[in-house]
Amino acid sequence: MNSIEEKLWDYIDGTCTTAEREAIDLLLIHDEAYQQKYLELLALNREIAAMELDEPPMAFTYNVMETIRADYARQPLKARINNTVIKVIGGFTILTIAAILIFTLVNMNWHSIHQVSKPAVNVPDIKNLMTGDVFKGFLFFDTVLVLFLLDRVLRRAKLSKQA
Amino acid sequence: MQSRLSDTELIEQSLAGNQSAYAELVKRHQRFVFTLAMRFTKNREDAEEVAQDCFIKAFRSLVSFKQESKFSTWLYSIVYTTAMTSLRKTRLDTASIDDEDTLIQVANVPSGYDTDNIENKSRSFYLNQAIGQLTADDAAIITLFYQGGQSLEEIARTLGIEANSVKVKLFRARQRLKEKLERNLKHEVKELI
Repeated sequence: MNSIEEKLWDYIDGTCTTAEREAIDLLLIHDEAYQQKYLELLALNREIAAMELDEPPMAFTYNVMETIRADYARQPLKARINNTVIKVIGGFTILTIAAILIFTLVNMNWHSIHQVSKPAVNVPDIKNLMTGDVFKGFLFFDTVLVLFLLDRVLRRAKLSKQA
Repeated sequence: MQSRLSDTELIEQSLAGNQSAYAELVKRHQRFVFTLAMRFTKNREDAEEVAQDCFIKAFRSLVSFKQESKFSTWLYSIVYTTAMTSLRKTRLDTASIDDEDTLIQVANVPSGYDTDNIENKSRSFYLNQAIGQLTADDAAIITLFYQGGQSLEEIARTLGIEANSVKVKLFRARQRLKEKLERNLKHEVKELI
């Protein structure tokens, strides 16, 4: 069973149900002891709420930011490298090597492998690749990538200028 | 210009490398973080150290902040953890009201009220004194609820407990505060007589 004080605190905090609120409303009108207790708690509530926050020293923000800056400067270069970039570069390299390997194996003349006089590998015609759709697609991808990286660099430069 | 930005926008800018955005966040929350730290440490020097430590920890963990709660709630949970750790290390708290050192520390807690207004000053002084005499947990809950403007659910998230437990703890903390305030005022009246 809730004490009078507990009920009144719920009433003051607004955490009681509508039925409880209505019951307390009635009690506050008719019960003088309830009313007195309510006024006492309400006064305390106001006093606590009116308490001011403590003020930290003037140089508080400066000290925090200096520590962060010093912390950042101490950080080794290795820790500052973005791991995602390394993974993307690594992935791209592996994919390229795999593509070249597959391409070579597919175009290899396996029948002539024992004939010493003939080369075993058919070298693909690079000229056809350079003018074909594959090359255009490659160029388009490169352009988009360059524009994306340029945008990121410019954004960072703008933010560091603001700082 | 940056004061108009929301906490979320400042966090985004901080994550993009703009340190002045984080400085703005620090400025915005430093008073409350410092006050909350004071509730645990009971002295300004240690509170300053704890508060600084909190902001540095928050900066380092900003990437992991998922924005599922308010930044203040997340920050206050860091303050709570850091202050509790500091408290365990230094064993500053848990002194009873009979402990002379605690009374001296409490007396040194600045009220922040206008010194010319004697009536206001004395009321706020005794209230500060009574809060200083509470346990760290009680004082923290009262501070989070009143000065931090946190709801019971937000306090529950900060302290890592159920909202119902917070409600009970808040009720008990206010009761103890009231008792201590009455005791201090009675003691003062006796001294005057």
